[in-house]
Amino acid sequence: MKEMPAEDALRRKMQPGAISGGGFLGSDARSLQEILDTDAAAIAALGLTHLQVAERLGEIVRAAMAAQGAPAEVAAGLQAVYCEARGRVPCPWSDGMFEKGQVEITDTRTGETLLCTPLSVHMIAAHGFYQGRGSHYRIEPGRLPRMLALPGE
Amino acid sequence: MIAILIATALVFAISGTFAALLLVAERYLVNYGRCEIDINASQRTLSVKGGESLLSSLMAEGVFVPSACGGRGTCAYCKVKVAAGAGPLAPTEAPLLSEDEIRDNVRISCQVKVRNDVRIEIPPELFAIKRFVGTVEALRDLTHDIKELRIALVDPPEIDFVPGQYIQLEVPSYGGGRGEVYRAYSMSNPPSEARHVETIIRLVPEGICTTWVFQHLRVGDAVALTGPYGEFRLSDSPREMVWIAGGSGMAPFWSILRHMIENDIRRKCTYFFGAVAKRDLFLIDELGRLAEELDWFTFVPALSSPAAEDNWDGEQGLITEVVARHLSDGAEMEGYLCGSPGMIDAAIDVLHKKSITDNRIFYDKFA
Amino acid sequence: MILAEAVQSDGGFAMQMLVILVTAGLTENILLTRFLGMCPFLSVSRELRSAAGMGLAVVFVTTGTCFLNSVLYWYVLKPLAAYHVPIESLKLILFIVVIAAFVQLMEMLIERISIGLYFALGIFLPLITVNCAILGASLFMVNKQYGPAASLFYGLGAGGGWMLAIVLMAGIRHRLAKAKIPAGLEGPGITLVIAGIMAMAFIIFQGMVKV
Repeated sequence: MKEMPAEDALRRKMQPGAISGGGFLGSDARSLQEILDTDAAAIAALGLTHLQVAERLGEIVRAAMAAQGAPAEVAAGLQAVYCEARGRVPCPWSDGMFEKGQVEITDTRTGETLLCTPLSVHMIAAHGFYQGRGSHYRIEPGRLPRMLALPGE
Repeated sequence: MIAILIATALVFAISGTFAALLLVAERYLVNYGRCEIDINASQRTLSVKGGESLLSSLMAEGVFVPSACGGRGTCAYCKVKVAAGAGPLAPTEAPLLSEDEIRDNVRISCQVKVRNDVRIEIPPELFAIKRFVGTVEALRDLTHDIKELRIALVDPPEIDFVPGQYIQLEVPSYGGGRGEVYRAYSMSNPPSEARHVETIIRLVPEGICTTWVFQHLRVGDAVALTGPYGEFRLSDSPREMVWIAGGSGMAPFWSILRHMIENDIRRKCTYFFGAVAKRDLFLIDELGRLAEELDWFTFVPALSSPAAEDNWDGEQGLITEVVARHLSDGAEMEGYLCGSPGMIDAAIDVLHKKSITDNRIFYDKFA
Repeated sequence: MILAEAVQSDGGFAMQMLVILVTAGLTENILLTRFLGMCPFLSVSRELRSAAGMGLAVVFVTTGTCFLNSVLYWYVLKPLAAYHVPIESLKLILFIVVIAAFVQLMEMLIERISIGLYFALGIFLPLITVNCAILGASLFMVNKQYGPAASLFYGLGAGGGWMLAIVLMAGIRHRLAKAKIPAGLEGPGITLVIAGIMAMAFIIFQGMVKV
C-alpha cells in the first residue's frame, strides 16, 4: 500500500540516527500501521487502554526523576532508577519535545527489567506506539500487567 | 526490420526529448540565482546561492544559528525571525511553532528555502559564534559512564569564552547513516586555556553523539564544534555562592573554579556535588585538595545510594536534602545550578526555602 | 463503445465536450466504475485535506498527460503505423515516459510559481507517477479514439471523477472515526466495503447518457 508523504516522513524519523541512535523500529520489518494495530489489539486483549499504561508509566518515571538517580521504590517489589541526560528529544510525530534520560524499572523479585523514557511514555499515550520489536525501548504489551502491577489477565 | 529501427528510434527520441526538457527545466526553474540575506536591518548582509535552506545558507556564511538535529526539522532549535521573503509556512514548520511565534514571523530556518531575498533578525550574540576545527588530544575515563574529552584547536587556534558557556559538538555521519547532528556540552577548561576545549560527556543509552564519542572517537581524530554559546556565568556581585551539580553538570563549575583561582576571585562558595554511588564520583581528589588549600572554597560530595562496599562516610542523601541540611540563611547568597530539569526544580525549591530569591538563582538547565 | 457513439452524435462541440466530461467523471468514474487508482485512494483518503491535495494533483496530471498523450498518439504514433511499427505496444512505454516527465516538470514549475500550491499538492506529485488511473485514462482515451481536444476534457473528467471519489471517501471515513467497526474490518477492509457501496451508488449515473 503506498504511503502518504506524511507517513513516509514519520517512518524516516524513526530510523536509527534520525532522532535516536537506535531508532524506534528496531529490527521490525512490519509497517508502522501493522505495529500499531498489533499492539493495540494486545493491549485491548489485556483489558487495558493506552492511556492507562501511559499514566502508570508516567507516575513511575516522575517518581524515579524525583529520586535524582537513586533507586526509587514505586510499588511492592518494583524499583525504578533514573539515568539523566542533557537535552530534549523530539517526538517523530512532531507534537512535542521531551526530556532525555531513561528510567529502568526492575522487578526485585524476578530481576526482570523494563526501560522507558519520557518520550516513549508520550508515544504510548498519544499514538499507542510501543516501538518496533528490537528497539531498545520497546515495551511488549504482554509484560505490562506483571511489571507495572496493572490490572490485567 | 525497418519497423524495429523506427520503433527503437522513436522510443529513444521521445525519452531523449523529455530528458533534455527536464534537464533544461532543472537548470532554469530550480535555479534561484543569488539571493541576499539581510541580517538585523543591514547589520550584516550575505549573498548566497538560492535554493538551499536558510539554516545551511547562514551556517555556510559563518552565522551559526543553533541546531541539534542538523537540519532535519525535528529539534526546533534553529528558530529565526524572518521579517520578509520566507514564503508561506511549510507543513513541517507548523507543528513546531506556537501561535505567538507564527504571528511574530518566527520560522524554523532549516525548513525555509531561500528562493529570493530575505530579511531576518537574530540575536547579535550569534555573530560571535564561530566554527572550530580541532583534534582529539585526550579522551580519558572519569567514571564507568563519563569521559573527559580534550580537544586541541587547530583552526581557529583559540577560543574566547566566558567560564560557564557551552559549545556544540558536530557529530559526523558514522556507523550506517547515523549522525550529522549537534550536541551541546559545557566547557570545563578555564578561558586561559584558549587553545583547548575540554568537556565532560556522560554516555546516553542510544544517544547519537555519546555512542560516537564512546565507541568511535579516537585520540588524533579531527572534530568540529561551534561556540561559545550560553548565558550561564558568574554574576558581578561579591555574594557568597552555592553551587549544585551532579555528574556531567560539574563541567561549567570546573571551568569557573579554575578561572576564579587563576584570577584571584576569592568569592566564598560551597560546591555540592551529588552522585548515586562512589563509582559515579570523579575529580574528587583534585577538588578535595583545592578545598583544603583555599579558604573560600568548600567541597561537599554526597551519595544518594552508596553501595555497601563503598564504605562511604561522607554526606548521604539526595543532593537537595544535603543542601537543605547545610544552608542556614541564604538571604545574601546566590545559587548556581547545573543538571537535569528535575534536579534543578528540586534545588530551586530548597533555595527558595533558604530565602534565596529567583533573581539570585542562575542555572544551566539540561534542556 | 457506447460512449463513442454518444459523442459522434450531433450536438455541437461544446455539447460533445460536456458529455465527455460528465461521462468520464460520473458514468465511467475511473475509480468507482473502472477500479483504477485504488492504492492511493485507500491510503490517502483518511484525511480530507490530504485527499483534496492528492485529488488536485491527480486532476492536474491526468488532464495534462491525457492531452499530451493524445497529441503524441495522433501526430506521432498513428502516422508511423504505416511503417508496421507496433504502436499498440509502444504506446505503453511512451505514455509512461510522458507521465513521469510531466510529473517532474509540474513539480518544478509549481514550486517555482506558487509555494503555497506546492505545499498543498506538490508533495503528492511524485506519488502519483505510478497511479494506474493516470495511465488508465490515457489508454482509455486511445480506446475511445478521442482527438486531442476531446482528450483534454476526458482527462479533466477522469481526474475530476477520481478526486470526487477520494474526497467523498475522506468525508465518509471522517464520520466513521466514531463508529464501532468490527476488528478485522478496520482500515482497508471497511474502506473497500464503502468503495463497493459507493460504486453501486454511482451506477445511477449510467442512465445519464443515452445512446
